[in-house]
Amino acid sequence: MDKFLTVTALRRVVQLTAFFFFVYGATVFTTFYTDDKLTQALPALSCAYDMKSGDYCALIPLQHQMDHRVSTLFTGDSGIMQALMGTAITVATVALLILILNKAFCGWLCPLGFFQESVGMIGTKLGMKQLPSLSVETVNKIRPVKWFIFLFLVLIFPLLTGIGMLGHEWGSPFCSICPSRIMTTLAVGDMNQLYISQAGWGYTLLSLIADLLFGLMIALALFVRQPFCRICPILPMQTLFKKIGLLRLVKNGSSYCEGCSNCVKACPMDIYEIGNPAVNANITHTDCTLCGRCVEFCPHDGVMSFKYGPATILTSSKESFKKRSKIDKWWKG
Amino acid sequence: MKNVLLALVLGTSLWAYGEGVLYWAPHGCDTGKAAAAAHGGHGKGESAMFAAMNLEGNATARLVLPDLSLRPLRFDRNTVMLPPPKMGGYYALVAESESPGNVRSAVRYLSLFGRPADVSPTRLTALPKTALEIIPDPLHREHDRYTGSKTYRFVAMFKGKPLTNVPLVLETRRSGAQTFTSGPDGAAEVTLPDDFANVTPGRGNKPSEFLLTLRHEEGGIRYVTTFSMPYSPNPNNHWQSQEWGAAAAALGFLGGLFLYRRSRKGGQNG
Repeated sequence: MDKFLTVTALRRVVQLTAFFFFVYGATVFTTFYTDDKLTQALPALSCAYDMKSGDYCALIPLQHQMDHRVSTLFTGDSGIMQALMGTAITVATVALLILILNKAFCGWLCPLGFFQESVGMIGTKLGMKQLPSLSVETVNKIRPVKWFIFLFLVLIFPLLTGIGMLGHEWGSPFCSICPSRIMTTLAVGDMNQLYISQAGWGYTLLSLIADLLFGLMIALALFVRQPFCRICPILPMQTLFKKIGLLRLVKNGSSYCEGCSNCVKACPMDIYEIGNPAVNANITHTDCTLCGRCVEFCPHDGVMSFKYGPATILTSSKESFKKRSKIDKWWKG
Repeated sequence: MKNVLLALVLGTSLWAYGEGVLYWAPHGCDTGKAAAAAHGGHGKGESAMFAAMNLEGNATARLVLPDLSLRPLRFDRNTVMLPPPKMGGYYALVAESESPGNVRSAVRYLSLFGRPADVSPTRLTALPKTALEIIPDPLHREHDRYTGSKTYRFVAMFKGKPLTNVPLVLETRRSGAQTFTSGPDGAAEVTLPDDFANVTPGRGNKPSEFLLTLRHEEGGIRYVTTFSMPYSPNPNNHWQSQEWGAAAAALGFLGGLFLYRRSRKGGQNG
């Protein structure tokens, strides 16, 4: 039994539990009413369109607040407090959650992240050749996309909608294209979110992008690690607060790191920067999901570690590297 | 069985929307809309004034607030004006009237914006508001709406106990009465009709009203209660195509497989 006790195994158990909570949790832990949700501000893609979800992500209230509240600053319909208080509460809740778990919301709790990893496991078992890593050039091209999505689809378009410069469909455009909306609703047996709208060109465009993206994400997840996570606007939001996160990835390569790049190869987000020399430094990158694979696959004692505040809670070692590599070979056949 | 037959006969032969029962309907006058706009908390264009239809006898009205506190309302003829909402969440609008041998009641729910009350909406719906009551199980979620072609659960309750095998009669403005019978737990699954005329694509369609009526007789007293709410057309029946949605998802999937083939060729070449 001990030979299967790895960070990844623990993560799978946590992910599966979180998946049931965030997709079906309203049936046991809360109710489906918004008033009964725990936070409504998760820094992970748990969807509000899923009527059985235990809690939901911060992006839907953020878009609504931009549309209905922050926009009133420009239309003069309300005072500063009324315009900004909702957003301030959402952002403060997100900051608090990131203080506690930092970007581990992505790697350990996000239902869509777990779904993609599960599809990846199916791809492996179907014998599909896995793409080991994307090239530096490709990664660098993809990285800005999530900032574009965050700035335009989460903040600017909803704000312009509230001001009256865009149609209603642009009030929550990220939710309109988010694959988690389709995945989680399908998971609870609701087929209503997979559609093409004919209510106007904006609705048609957004619904078409959503469906294409959903299908594309599933196919890509069969052979590319975490395809949608790379453009997810949750990452920029987490990045704004990552400095305050108690959980962090620390590299201390002062004497042992040989630059083998095992950590980079293990990283599902292809963060090449974690291979760079660093001495006792917080290397939690914007794209990092704190999945811990780099720590597991580092063959050197004490080079990569997870720290929570001052405490080291996980550190790399030769022994765990050997164990993890063995399991990896067994899994991939 | 007698009740079911009675409801069927009434439903098919004497049907006229809300005939003879007390029920709530929004009063779309300018005063009501102006009050709603001044209060804030109501949706755009909604009214703060409601009318109790077929009101007779010594009737009372009250508002159950999201924190379960009560606020009496004063009838002006058959209308009430809601006060500015002090808190956000679901409110229950209740009317009751009594005459010898008859108790009539009506309940309607509203979701208003404001600082949330720290009480679950499930407690508001479960709170006994009238002797005979139709309890939505659950209400539609905040920001959501009752929609045609969708099925909802309602529980028939009398003095805190579920009523089994009783008919709930559903009426809309455009469809004849339909009867749904409660099961052993008092719950009936009610499918709302998507009976809208001249539906236009998008959000421009005004909601219509549906009315559920429940009758019960005990101790020589006839109880009648109603539950009325707005409902909207189902986009998937009118301007959204699920078939095309599935086709687009399949196309995206095929695009991904095409990229897989390309990556394999690239790998073999490189």
